[in-house]
Amino acid sequence: MTLKNKACIAGIGSTEFTRNSGRSEIHMAVDAALAACEDAGLEPEKIDGMVRFGSAGQTTCEFTTDADVARCLNLPNLNFYSEAPWGGGACCSTILHAAMAVSAGIAKYVLCFRSLKPASGTVRYGRPTAVPVDSHWSYSMPFGFSSPTSWVAAFTNRWMYETGATNDDLGMIALVCRENAVVNPRAIFYRRPITLEDYYKSPMLCTPFRMHDTCLENDGAVAIIVTTPERAKDLKQTPAYITGVGMGMADDSFCMTSFYRDKIGIPEMKYAGKDTFKMAGLTPKDVDVCQFYDAFTSLVPMQMEALGFVEEGEGGAFVRGGDRIRPTGELPINTAGGMLSEAYIHGMNMITEATRQIRGTAITQIPNVEVSMTTGGLGVPTSALILTKG
Amino acid sequence: MALELNNYHAKYFYDPVAESFEQGFWDAVKQKKLVFQRCTECGEWSHPPRPMCHKCKCQDMEWVESSGKGKIYTFVIFTREVHPMYRVPYEVVVVDMEDEKVRFISNMIDTDPDEVYIGMPVEVEFVDINDEWPLPWFRKAK
Ligand SMILES: [Zn+2]
Repeated sequence: MTLKNKACIAGIGSTEFTRNSGRSEIHMAVDAALAACEDAGLEPEKIDGMVRFGSAGQTTCEFTTDADVARCLNLPNLNFYSEAPWGGGACCSTILHAAMAVSAGIAKYVLCFRSLKPASGTVRYGRPTAVPVDSHWSYSMPFGFSSPTSWVAAFTNRWMYETGATNDDLGMIALVCRENAVVNPRAIFYRRPITLEDYYKSPMLCTPFRMHDTCLENDGAVAIIVTTPERAKDLKQTPAYITGVGMGMADDSFCMTSFYRDKIGIPEMKYAGKDTFKMAGLTPKDVDVCQFYDAFTSLVPMQMEALGFVEEGEGGAFVRGGDRIRPTGELPINTAGGMLSEAYIHGMNMITEATRQIRGTAITQIPNVEVSMTTGGLGVPTSALILTKG
Repeated sequence: MALELNNYHAKYFYDPVAESFEQGFWDAVKQKKLVFQRCTECGEWSHPPRPMCHKCKCQDMEWVESSGKGKIYTFVIFTREVHPMYRVPYEVVVVDMEDEKVRFISNMIDTDPDEVYIGMPVEVEFVDINDEWPLPWFRKAK
């Protein structure tokens, strides 16, 4: 019994990505859902399952409920509804939940969605005011250790110390993502290139992170429709088969401040990746293009190590100079600009780009893509996904 | 410059809250003692506290006062204000405690950001944050 190729992504949709959407999270969620239905060629009323982002132990700030979306789409009944927790770590988990539901016959068409408006809404991620009063945070917040930027910076600093990765290496991630965004009209940073000099000139927020090391803050929503390959035959798009998908929660996980385990960093991705590759029967060498979760630059080379694309400690050296990770390189990354430069929709926009790479419809399309990978958020329990043509 | 409290904004302090099994830690902090949890059965240390020993599952945990000595395992320097109470620049350090097998997150006293490095020996010193809360901070080891 395996989930391999038992389900596929049949529709993707999103709102525009903007600094001020002028409308509510619910409104954006429904707009994205309708766009995904349109893309799939599916009547919205046929959706009978839904997966939303959950909020377990985290400051996910997900306000749109499955019921809100179902009510707007006039869905008669949902046979399946679930939540994938841990913020951006949830993105590929939503696909795992959906794939299990459709392959087990619990639901026929499952909508996975994420809507958020930190740019113009009342709750801004990355601000201490978004952290709940909860005993977990008592060991960090009173000491002013109070932002996701600082939490990731702390394990990045240790990683740089241990591996010799440099600020230039981090800057190269920012640059390559920006190069890909500059040609993507959906991207917030469309037509706004930067140089390494610009990177170094951007203000230092929390060592070793500058402004250009951190992802965008924007409004927007993404929706994805998952169904079985049999049902997808009656829909419009070439299905992107869910060939491998996995979740991981490593030892001594403690919200976003998992600093108490022997070796800090992102062991969650090791576990999620191992399961994902195992299900797919593939290895990192088989991956043609990967959307690495890039809420912060360092997460990209760190994930390359955790997932086995490179040896431990070699991530910095691999991205050095950027040519290996550009669209013409051996491992093209974040081809729509990633969350550093396209938009920050908690990884869901990365899954839509991974889907386009399989369909052959990406703006920065990598030639002959057979295996398209994408990953979930770090510093938290996470997930990973491999899409193929089946 | 070390972390300097902006008293004008002291009302924004994140008051520690505790589950019942971690109350002992914060009670000790109020008495300016840094304590860590140890299993009375197998001797395993735990921080942040747990309701039981994760190793042997014994529920009889004790609070043991720390020597307060450690080395910096990693750190960050906040250079842009994200919280009105804390004036930048300030250091947040993750300390490997020398005599207890735990790590502890804290701040530095009387230390310039440039001076902080991974492996730096430090020792605990309590600082009064406001009328209610002292916190265990660290300074360069003597
Ligand atoms: Zn024990």
